[in-house]
Amino acid sequence: MKIINYLLFFILFVTLYSCEEVVEVDLQESKPRLVVEASIIWEKGNSGNTQIITLTTTSSYFASAISPAKDAMVEVISSTGDTFNFNEIEPGIYVNTNFLPEINMEYRLTIRYKNEMYTAKEIMIPVVELENVEQTLNGGFSGNDIELKAYFNDPAEISNYYLFKFIFDDLSVQIYDDEFTNGNRTFAYFSNKDLTIGDEVRFEIQGISESFYEYLYILSSQAGENNGGPFQTQPTTVRGNIINETNEGNFAFGYFRLSQSNKLDYKIQ
Amino acid sequence: MLNIIELFLKNLVVFVSITVQILYLLKKTRLKKLFSVIFLLFFSLVQAQETFTLNGVIKDASNNETLYGVNILVTNLNSGVVSNEYGFYSIKLPKGSHNILISYLGYKEQNFSINITENSTYNFSLEETSETLEEVLVTSDSQATNIRAPEMSVNRLDISTIQKLPVVFGEVDVVKSLLLLPGVSNAGEGSSGFNVRGGAVDQNLILLDEATIYNSSHLFGLFSVFNPDAIKNLKLYKGGIPAKYGGRVSSVLDIFQKDGNSKEFKANGGIGIISSRLLAEGPIVKDKGSFLVGGRSSYAHLFLKLTDNENTAYFYDLNTKLSYRLDNSNTILFSGYFGRDVFNINESFKNTYGNAVLNLRWNHVLTDNIFTNLSVIYSDYYYGLTLDFVEFNWNSGIKNLNLKYDFSQYINENISLDYGMQNTYYEFNPGEIEPSTPTSGIRDYELTKKYAFESALYISAEHHISDNFTAEYGIRFSNFFRLGQEELKLYNNDQAVVFNNDFKIYEKAEPIGFKTLEKSKVEKYFKALEPRIALAYSFNDNQSVKLSYNRMNQYLHLITNTSSPTPLDIWAPSGKYIDPQVLDQIAVGYFENIKNGEYSFEVESFYKKIKNRVSYIDGANLIANNAIEQVILPGKARAYGLEVLFKKNTGNFTGWFAYTLSKSEQKTPGRTALETGINNGTWYNTAYDKTHDISITASYELSDKWQLNSNFNYQTGLPTTYPNAQYTFEDLVIPVYSARNSERLPAYHRLDFSTTYTPSKNKTRNYKSSWNFGIYNVYGRKNAVSLSFRNNDDTGRNEAVRLSIFGIIPSVTYNFKF
Repeated sequence: MKIINYLLFFILFVTLYSCEEVVEVDLQESKPRLVVEASIIWEKGNSGNTQIITLTTTSSYFASAISPAKDAMVEVISSTGDTFNFNEIEPGIYVNTNFLPEINMEYRLTIRYKNEMYTAKEIMIPVVELENVEQTLNGGFSGNDIELKAYFNDPAEISNYYLFKFIFDDLSVQIYDDEFTNGNRTFAYFSNKDLTIGDEVRFEIQGISESFYEYLYILSSQAGENNGGPFQTQPTTVRGNIINETNEGNFAFGYFRLSQSNKLDYKIQ
Repeated sequence: MLNIIELFLKNLVVFVSITVQILYLLKKTRLKKLFSVIFLLFFSLVQAQETFTLNGVIKDASNNETLYGVNILVTNLNSGVVSNEYGFYSIKLPKGSHNILISYLGYKEQNFSINITENSTYNFSLEETSETLEEVLVTSDSQATNIRAPEMSVNRLDISTIQKLPVVFGEVDVVKSLLLLPGVSNAGEGSSGFNVRGGAVDQNLILLDEATIYNSSHLFGLFSVFNPDAIKNLKLYKGGIPAKYGGRVSSVLDIFQKDGNSKEFKANGGIGIISSRLLAEGPIVKDKGSFLVGGRSSYAHLFLKLTDNENTAYFYDLNTKLSYRLDNSNTILFSGYFGRDVFNINESFKNTYGNAVLNLRWNHVLTDNIFTNLSVIYSDYYYGLTLDFVEFNWNSGIKNLNLKYDFSQYINENISLDYGMQNTYYEFNPGEIEPSTPTSGIRDYELTKKYAFESALYISAEHHISDNFTAEYGIRFSNFFRLGQEELKLYNNDQAVVFNNDFKIYEKAEPIGFKTLEKSKVEKYFKALEPRIALAYSFNDNQSVKLSYNRMNQYLHLITNTSSPTPLDIWAPSGKYIDPQVLDQIAVGYFENIKNGEYSFEVESFYKKIKNRVSYIDGANLIANNAIEQVILPGKARAYGLEVLFKKNTGNFTGWFAYTLSKSEQKTPGRTALETGINNGTWYNTAYDKTHDISITASYELSDKWQLNSNFNYQTGLPTTYPNAQYTFEDLVIPVYSARNSERLPAYHRLDFSTTYTPSKNKTRNYKSSWNFGIYNVYGRKNAVSLSFRNNDDTGRNEAVRLSIFGIIPSVTYNFKF
């Protein structure tokens, strides 16, 4: 129930009295590691043939440029033996245009980078469709923010994990598990104080695996805006599902995942 | 609830039958003598002289409040006793005439000559010195260090001392005052609870009139839940904890409420910038029965000027007490506490939490030298949350019912015994969720309730072995029964957490089955013997060395992985997957009173280690988690340090200097050679480790009208973790963190100042008032509560952000009594 986390009230409370200031801090620097962003997204109704895998390396915390991981060999093999090669079209950007997505199929990712081999396995997760959006004009903490609820029907037979994206100005991401709503018609909730009537927004729902849900859960607690204060949780190193087969200690960050997705556009009335 | 009562009654029957048997044996004179003789032989200190018992109760002459810790000295024998928490004392004296000197801080000394020819009861009433300040020079030395008693690592604070200290917003605060003592700190401003000698917040046993308080903070730690007006005094045990106390491994904070004035009706109160207080007390039957009722409330709306809407945030608490003295040997006390914090944001977010306590006690003087107290206590912590915009209600909490029977037996002038038994029945509600609207997609869901029963027997002796050597030794036999519950998850090899060797991370294990057991059956039983010993060797009247060792077990664990606990954290009992925490602590100290107690000096050093301290796997989600065992691993904790306290106790200028040098660490190694453990299985700093901690507190009595108070704090910055790299994943900028708690926030320091003005017309009228003006953080230091790292939405750049809470805060409080 991620929602309780978002709403922990003391964060609001502490900010009322507190004062935030950007300060200079000297940080140590660690040696660069490979970062894998292999998110295979299959939007319902599309072929899903074109897929992109991005490889970068970690950089110092205050660096502004992202360093691409160049000259890697990237391939994805399905459990039925289909091989998809990803070719580097720009530094660190690897593309395949004949990918064949299949629900519940297991895929294996292999990357050769700087004489080391990295692998990962994952299953393509299905998702239900977003049905409709309901809005209220007097929500949020202030009582006059626009609230949006995008409804969907959660399948009852299994535990489901979702990733929601809400696109308006910038991207907002939420994760959700159906522990308290299994089998019910339920909703993804968004509110933003800058929303006004006539704005066009986009919702996206993606089916994700439990382990990717856990991964994102840790990531969002580290990357969010709401860390800090006496009630913050311990920061930690977040490991994904990429294994370095050659040199165990030189592990990579990132994740290999395959998700079905569905989008819904909405204009605020 | 029926089951609780049933179990409780069963236990009560057993308990009462044991007690009746003991009483029966004691009442039969012959056996009673045998009983005493056995003890005397045991300690081989038989004296061939006819002795009688002198006992009684010591009270404040103005209101009949019983006084705790009064020295009763028999000057001709150079022996003495101290009154207990109910004001009772008992001493064996040989036949003949004796000089009795009674002394207590802030009260006039009394000198009596008593001719003892039989067992006698003398109740004493002491007069306060402050009311006749001009004539009497304060010479009482109770504030000075107790040189001869084996008691060490104990701080006693009088409520009048606490009321003088400058505090944030001018709100007198018990817990904040403790932070000025050596060995006591917290996890920064705005954090809840307190840490003692490098221990965690949940390792403190907090007792209010003997009832356990589970959350000591209002408004997330800005204030404590104790209304200073209703409190008589408090005692903090940091080490050398007597066998009477158990169940927490770090410290015991024992707080006593006032009984109420049984002489005349009195009221007092105060108006501050955050809250107002009012307390009324008076006789029900003059000199026999009294009532006390006190309330405190903060002002609603105060904190939420954020928007124009109907938002409220406030706290209140209510203290009540009834006491009735039936005769010299029987007193009945009934006390209650109820406190709540309430937040209501635009009717869509409602949050209520707090403690409730009810307590019925019977003080009974069983024989001339045996004092008993029977207590029945109910205590409850509730947390409730309503989120209307996501359409659900949530509540969680802990309830317990406690039955205690404590005996104090004064065997002779050299030996006194404390023994008794304590039983507690717990019901844990980790959370219930329900839809708040008929159309809500939320299903009714209840996290599995848990039940447990804790029982302990203890005996301890205070033994004056020779003129210079005193010992306190005892043992506590503690038992914990984790009772049956619905659907306890079962795992392969009983391992609820598994290590994923591919990704080098800890993961939840899949349950392989469930076990449901009636809650009258025992699922898991723990027992432990906890030895306690404290020794004092005094070189003379002014210098001594002390040594103590104690072992303690803690069966309850607060499930929290934030730097400071939050109100919605839940308590979990030990059981199949969580073992009890076990502490061993050793402390040594040197104590000296200088210039007849005008100054005192204490230096103590301690080392402690704790087994089975729970730690959390990376990314553990603790909220609404029905299988906490899947995210925790057993770890260890250790702390060691040096504490120095130098006090000036008398005169116009009083105060103290406290310095603590300490280290507090934690470690969670892998369970097998393959596993990495947490933080690679190495020792790391706890979130509340502070290397240096200095507090200086000073109070100066300028004139009858003006009093000046000030304190200064300097502390090493709290441990924190910094990133050493970054990367981008799905448009999120992710920091890569280095080893846990390996960096430090900037040092914390702060100066406060306050002054109390008492108008001179007070002397001639019944209505007395005073003004308190204060400035918190005089030089406006922006102390960092945290340093966090984030990606700025607007610039796209990463930045470090310092969060600080309090700048300069002036305050004014008006206090009155009549």
